[in-house]
Amino acid sequence: MLDFFARNRVATLFGVTVLAFLLIGMVAPGYLSLSTASVIMSNSLVLMTVALGTMLVILTRNIDVSSGSVLGLSAVILGLLLNNGMGLAPAIIICLLCGALAGLFNGILVTFFSVPSIIATLGTLGLFRGIMLILTGGKWIEELPQSLKFLAENGSIGISVLTVAVVIALAGVWAITRHTRFGRYFYAVGDNREAARHLGIRIHLVQISAFVAAGTLAALAGIIFAAQIGFIPNQAGNGVELKAIAANVLGGVSLLGGSGSVPGVFVGVIFMTSIDSALVFLKIPAFWNDFIAGAVLLLVLLLDGRVRIAVEKAIRAKRYAVHSPNTGSGTTGPVHNTPSPTSSTPGPQEHAQ
Amino acid sequence: MKRFFLRWEMALFGMLVAEFAIFGALNPNFLNLSNLLYSTSDFAQIGIIALPLTIVIIAGGIDVSFASTIGLCAIIFGIANFFGLPLALCIAAALGAGAIAGLFNATIIHLSRIQPLVVTLGSLYLFSGAATVLSGVVGAGGYEGIGNFPDSFTSFAYIDVAGLPAPFLVLLAEAIILFVILHFSRFGRSVFLCGLSEHAARYSGLPIRTIQTITYMMTGIFAAVAGLVLSAYFGSARVDLGTATLLPAITAAVLGGASIYGGQGSIIGTFLATLVIGYLQQGLQMSGVPSQISSALSGALLVVAVALRHGSALLTNFVAARIMATNRKRAAS
Amino acid sequence: MERNNHDKAAVRVSDIWKSYGGTAVLKGVDITLLPGQVHALLGGNGAGKSTLMKSIAGLVSPESGSIEINGQALNNPSPAAAQALGLYLVPQEAQILPNQSVLENICLGLRSSAKALRGDIEKLVNDLSVRLDLDAQAATLEIADRQIVEILRGLIRKARVLILDEPTSALTPHEANALFDRVRQLQEQGVGIFFISHKLREIREICDVISVLRDGAIVLYGTLDDYNDHQIVEAMTKSAGGETANVTAPKRQRTTDFNLASNVLEITGFSGEGFRDISFDVRAGEIVGLAGVVGAGRSELAETLFGLRPSGSGTVKLQGKDLINRSPRTCVDAGLVYLPEDRQQNGLFLEASLAWNMSGYTMHRMGFFPKGKRETGEFSEFREALGIKCEGPGQAAGRLSGGNQQKVLLAKCLAANPRVLILDEPTRGVDVAARNDIYRLIHQLAEKGLGVLLISSDFDEIEQLADRVIVMAHGHQCGELSRQAINVDAIAHLAFESGAASHA
Repeated sequence: MLDFFARNRVATLFGVTVLAFLLIGMVAPGYLSLSTASVIMSNSLVLMTVALGTMLVILTRNIDVSSGSVLGLSAVILGLLLNNGMGLAPAIIICLLCGALAGLFNGILVTFFSVPSIIATLGTLGLFRGIMLILTGGKWIEELPQSLKFLAENGSIGISVLTVAVVIALAGVWAITRHTRFGRYFYAVGDNREAARHLGIRIHLVQISAFVAAGTLAALAGIIFAAQIGFIPNQAGNGVELKAIAANVLGGVSLLGGSGSVPGVFVGVIFMTSIDSALVFLKIPAFWNDFIAGAVLLLVLLLDGRVRIAVEKAIRAKRYAVHSPNTGSGTTGPVHNTPSPTSSTPGPQEHAQ
Repeated sequence: MKRFFLRWEMALFGMLVAEFAIFGALNPNFLNLSNLLYSTSDFAQIGIIALPLTIVIIAGGIDVSFASTIGLCAIIFGIANFFGLPLALCIAAALGAGAIAGLFNATIIHLSRIQPLVVTLGSLYLFSGAATVLSGVVGAGGYEGIGNFPDSFTSFAYIDVAGLPAPFLVLLAEAIILFVILHFSRFGRSVFLCGLSEHAARYSGLPIRTIQTITYMMTGIFAAVAGLVLSAYFGSARVDLGTATLLPAITAAVLGGASIYGGQGSIIGTFLATLVIGYLQQGLQMSGVPSQISSALSGALLVVAVALRHGSALLTNFVAARIMATNRKRAAS
Repeated sequence: MERNNHDKAAVRVSDIWKSYGGTAVLKGVDITLLPGQVHALLGGNGAGKSTLMKSIAGLVSPESGSIEINGQALNNPSPAAAQALGLYLVPQEAQILPNQSVLENICLGLRSSAKALRGDIEKLVNDLSVRLDLDAQAATLEIADRQIVEILRGLIRKARVLILDEPTSALTPHEANALFDRVRQLQEQGVGIFFISHKLREIREICDVISVLRDGAIVLYGTLDDYNDHQIVEAMTKSAGGETANVTAPKRQRTTDFNLASNVLEITGFSGEGFRDISFDVRAGEIVGLAGVVGAGRSELAETLFGLRPSGSGTVKLQGKDLINRSPRTCVDAGLVYLPEDRQQNGLFLEASLAWNMSGYTMHRMGFFPKGKRETGEFSEFREALGIKCEGPGQAAGRLSGGNQQKVLLAKCLAANPRVLILDEPTRGVDVAARNDIYRLIHQLAEKGLGVLLISSDFDEIEQLADRVIVMAHGHQCGELSRQAINVDAIAHLAFESGAASHA
């Protein structure tokens, strides 16, 4: 039972989300409609894109808290280029490149200068935000061209160009992490860095790639942000990095690296975003939002932690089971089941991390 | 190790002196003593929270929820005051709420054994949510805040003793107390040992859980202190009082020498780093640099300082190896 | 893919130098491995074996010297570069990716996909006659299976050079024999193999050539048949001055008349994680050896006694007082202290000062403000009494040599003023001179009336020190020897035979 939840983390969260939708639908008729789904989807695009990049970084056992500023910075660059008369396509490309460059900078700090990723990205969080403010002189960027806003408009079947772009990004990252050799390296590097190095994986390159991808995706999120609201305020992207990390954790991405998946992040983001819309339908004042998000997150963490502890206990008991009376005396047990005191056996009261 | 930190603290002091020299040259008013003293009121809260945060980090943890705890405790103070409780009781309620917030964090961390960063990220939302909900109770809309404090409270932020403004005095007193506790007491030593090696600490029979719980509770209590100081300074308690301290406080702790891996850090370092960060922002503002840009520079400062610290360690090892190699070649030939 | 250019060395290392923190670990080592050769590498702890092998595998960059693999120079050392030249290091401690499947663990880093290699791997698993679930999560693997995964990694990479670092330490004799068969096959195919081991019997069984490393230099090299065991051991242990170190400290004069009433530690029917139904006692002034092979459950027993592992059952009495399932701190206060097996990880605070390390067990007895002067005074006493070589009480523990680190840990134990001392592998990774110092200290402590429980996998050590020996195998108590009956053969007989019986 516990094993099932531990192994099928995404399925469990998915089930819980569906159940929550159904319950809310029962209490508030009209909630379960295509238009709600469409609203939730377009509301989740920014967070989804950032969370996807954050996942790649977390898989390699790093963390990126600078994505909110990368989002803001690249959105501003896009806005400035467009308002100076550049075409949409080249502006978008330059914007994405800037995001990649920002990610590269983070990656270099973390690998070559061996600055802990939380510190490095905390620093660049302030740095990128400042560069953005220097570029805008502290003013908002308004009157973005219609061509950009068009990207966010829902077409005939209720899907915008941006939705398609995000779906492509999701599918791309899913395919890469699941099915390519290099994609598996992300997991390997996060799971056990020494082992990955030992197996000939270029761990610096893999970590930098994760940061570059995260930067590029944050820039994409910046484009989505600008297109959706039509202007770029100073605080664009503020706090999205924390939400993205929370969505990852909800979606079963381990902050210890090496495990997590795109479907998990997808469900995590949808779950986070649907809290807003559910509150509206349940006629709960909006100021409960943070409280509920926090409580849900902590509850999931607590359950998750307890399940993992229980599973570890079971594995541990199995490992030492050779000495229980019903397997007979030690003279009949197979030898290689015997515990050995090297570091890989569970130590005394080992902590999960 | 000790010598290294002395050196690092000297480096921070040097940075501070350099700041004074540069900003003083740009704008002589900057070095005006009363200006130097009174501008501390704008950043004292960063230090008030960064100091206990340093202790949490040394013990091998981290706490980001303090940014919401500050607002939550301020709101609780405001509500207690709203219902006409005596001032002392209101303050006690705020401090108590801070302690409980810390205890809550520590308990969840120990029960779930999930990294403190994630857990306190969750409580960052929970506490700010709780503060918003609570401020709804007394009819103060989300971010308007609760005011109408007694004069004796609001004037506290503006009194001074021997020329030192009250918020700075609070910070100074706190720094002295925590300095003694962290660097001279048995508890302080346990904090370092837990952070240096949790394994060895467990095998030595140190009560790791208790020690870490106390560090989180200290952070909660001092977050409440920061909330009170800010409420008095602004004359109202708001949910988002602490939001702006999140990054500067962590920056101060790390710039001050606290290692995110635990086991290293110092109160003097964090105190000096607070001054470096605070005066950097003040100085930039006085030199006519827009306040937003100063955030870029403090971010850059953090990155450069930490990269230098790590880089110089790498460089030292490299140079030592080179010297040995050349010596050997010389000896061989 | 037969290669006929046997004149070309598989690995050629010349004049390698490497130092850590100012101490030279490799001092100009030259070593050559020919294709189809199994080359044994021997040396004591700290002789530089691992560093040498890690340099060849690209995990460590030496400061000077050159390395050639299959005729090509390893210029920018990295594991990827070494593997590209056809070399794979099977490390002593398996490097596992705990969250990935076993199959993925084996195939990671290869060009072909895991799916395509599945058949080959299954065949190799069969050849090794082991059982391995390729789809299991690697975290659930036993130590021995992890080692198998590492060996499979080497085999599937079709490496032309393999380095096997104590490959049999976690294997059963049966698995070890199957591995040797594979090694011989590979040898026929022209693969060169470095074989690191401490077991001379194994080395004689499959190696052609031997090199002995001591203090970072090769001190013996040649065909294995040219040397007898004595010569090899002598080469390993000879001290720098040219004399063979005094490995056999004076044998303990065994006192025979321990007063039965003076039992300090009594254990009856004690069970817990990894051990079952253990009963023995330790008397004041007695050294009780707890012998067995690695994995017999001895450390688990000690850690459960000391309150570090989930509760055990049975009775434990210290000086008549009940002491089962108490916290480490209660144990220390009751007079029981434990010197852990893993000195670096569990014993010392490597970056903390020696004085702080010494007070590790006694901190709670100090006032709220520990008195630094008293502490340094106490440290100086221990420094003199135990002969700790250090700069002073403020030095970081990680900067001391293994032997001195162990003495600091002994000081930590003794500072708590114990009645019973549990020593878990007290001389592992300690040089010969410090080892003799530690033996002498253990004698002195027993003479002062302390009860000592000595856990060791080194049966010579047990023979030299113990008044009585309890032998454990597979978590069970399988024998007791006392006084004149104690000798290496008798201990080994009990420890291995009762283990081997389980295979029959």
